[in-house]
Amino acid sequence: MFATIKNRFATTDIEVKREDLYKVVVQRDAIFELIFMLREQYDYQTLNAITCCDWIEEEHFAITYILTTSDRKQSFMVQTMIGREDAQIDSLTHTFEQAEIMERDLHEMYGIDFPGNQNLVELSLENWVHTPPLRREFDTLEFVNNNLSFREGRDGNMDVKKEMKRLRALKKAQKAAAKKAKEEASEVSDGN
Amino acid sequence: METNKHITIFHGPQHPGITGNMSVELDLIGETIQKATTHVGYLHRGFEKLVERRTVIQAFTIVCRICVPEPDPNEANFAMAVEELAGIEVSERVKYIRVMVLELSRLASQCMWLAGQSGSIGLYAVGQWAIADRDLILDLFEELTGGRVYHMYIYPGGVRRDLPDGFLRRLEKVLNHFKKRLKEYDNIFINNASFKSRAIGVGIVSPEECIKNGYVGQVLRGCGIEADVRKDAPYLVYDQLDFEVPTAQGGDVYARALVRRAEMDQSIHILEQVIDKMPEGEIMVKMPTHRKFKLPKNDTWVKVESSRGEFAYYMAGDGSEKIRRMQVRGPSLVHAFTLLEDLLVGAELSDVALIMNSLGICPPEIER
Amino acid sequence: MKWSIDISGTLSPLGILAAMMQKPNTIAYPAVKKETAVGYRGFHTNLLVDCIGCANCQDVCMNDAIDMIKTDKEYNVKNSSQCIPRIDYGRCCWCSLCTDVCPPDSLKLDEEYLGVTQYASDFLYMPKDK
Ligand code: SF4
Ligand code: SF4
Repeated sequence: MFATIKNRFATTDIEVKREDLYKVVVQRDAIFELIFMLREQYDYQTLNAITCCDWIEEEHFAITYILTTSDRKQSFMVQTMIGREDAQIDSLTHTFEQAEIMERDLHEMYGIDFPGNQNLVELSLENWVHTPPLRREFDTLEFVNNNLSFREGRDGNMDVKKEMKRLRALKKAQKAAAKKAKEEASEVSDGN
Repeated sequence: METNKHITIFHGPQHPGITGNMSVELDLIGETIQKATTHVGYLHRGFEKLVERRTVIQAFTIVCRICVPEPDPNEANFAMAVEELAGIEVSERVKYIRVMVLELSRLASQCMWLAGQSGSIGLYAVGQWAIADRDLILDLFEELTGGRVYHMYIYPGGVRRDLPDGFLRRLEKVLNHFKKRLKEYDNIFINNASFKSRAIGVGIVSPEECIKNGYVGQVLRGCGIEADVRKDAPYLVYDQLDFEVPTAQGGDVYARALVRRAEMDQSIHILEQVIDKMPEGEIMVKMPTHRKFKLPKNDTWVKVESSRGEFAYYMAGDGSEKIRRMQVRGPSLVHAFTLLEDLLVGAELSDVALIMNSLGICPPEIER
Repeated sequence: MKWSIDISGTLSPLGILAAMMQKPNTIAYPAVKKETAVGYRGFHTNLLVDCIGCANCQDVCMNDAIDMIKTDKEYNVKNSSQCIPRIDYGRCCWCSLCTDVCPPDSLKLDEEYLGVTQYASDFLYMPKDK
């Protein structure tokens, strides 16, 4: 199986992650061909999940299709990269019925478009107008600070690092003062 | 559409028989459902985003909240994924303790199901009993982990506390109680004529559809397919334990109930073996960077068998202390949309809660 | 579906009547209290003679539940910042990470877990000194 995939899709590497889990990364235009081949020839009948991971530094999303054989003993992660701007990849709903809801989820969370999926309506975020929340540029902390507030009465919080520094400086100063006082005292006694 | 015949109603989120905070929009003619649309969104908490801001141990405390009735498969999955990415091997004792926790939580969550399923057809006494029995397991959890519902116990690299003195004996006592009790449940619920007449032939799923659409758990096993992650891709020490995968024929609500009931027996059987075999050893991996797991740039897919079917996590690290991406794929996502919307067409309004309960749909894990 | 009487299925559920003779599973709450297990994760306690004011607990708490504040209590002489933690129970999830990272083990979770108040401000909880 590995040799066929390597030849046909010109990939260098098929990773064996565990006994029951393989992973391959292919070009974007070859991915559906590979999925269909796995499905027809190697009994990978079930689409378990479609996952997405945002690699913002490299300017792409990694979309992974996880397929499982019909005896459920082997899984295959088929991964491809798509650009972050106007992210878009064809829908799989014509082959796998359950892809509809998975794509709907990713559409809402990442703003990826799946041409061919008729039902990309909102899922759990009602009336959401900001950036799709799972994209890395969406900053949850900033959103919370802008939209929500802390409980009242929490302003007594001290910056501990500063406080430690201040106290240490204070102690040092006190010590120095004490030393000075001592020295002065001894000078006085010397003078006698 | 003919006028004056159709009526559209929302079933849930406040319906007592429904499985949680979700709703199904139903188009009815008379009592018969023409179209069903699932709506979620009452419970979105954004865990998948939150873990991206946290280090591994900080994220570990919130993953259990992804599924309310059954938090432990989440903790186990999270720990397994982190261990696989970071290349940590845990001791034998840890594995046995984890198996014990997972099976206990399966048992507890099957009790929850008993309560929901019987409540959905009006047999409330069974529900009360089941919840009371579940409390015995929660007492065990309280003693072991310090929490009753959210345990935060299965830590990446081990477990958080060792077993208290005499814990296994108390576990044995609870199991003996359960063995007696399960026979009574057979009499008053599983063999009950009113349950049979409501459940047989309702909500039928075909085996081909199951495989193709990725249904899991009791839906598969209720069609006579022996599918169980614990057998197919053994994790922890399930390959050293002796148990069966119960199946039933028919693919209807009753078949799924029979499967669940048989699984309770199997869980007890596994727990008894765990009591006998519990080895000695370390409960936590010794590491210099114990609180600072660094996940290399890599990704993985791990799965465990929860009480409702395969529960899987996708996890990616990026070389820092934080998790780059954690995606949850619980059993309910596909069940609640692809399957439920299909099954409800042609069903009666009064069967909606029955069917939902038998699929084991749990909204917290759909929305994360 | 043909209608036929399922005799055993009709009679066996009547076995539930036997439960009327049994002792109830519940306890009479205010009179009898349930014993909390040792090691239950309840309210926080902080032994002030041990706390060194290092703010490890504040750093690890990802819910931002902990404030380090000044009070007029007696501190440990080694308390380098002269601050002690106060916890916002509106945010805390009793995950017990703060007690795990506390170097002198002064911060702990207690078996006590009942708190009733009519003021929202009481959610800002000062751990008991014990
Ligand atoms: S309670 Fe513990 S961790 Fe928190 S400041 Fe005091 S010594 Fe440090
Ligand atoms: S128990 Fe957890 S949430 Fe609560 S204060 Fe401690 S670290 Fe924060």
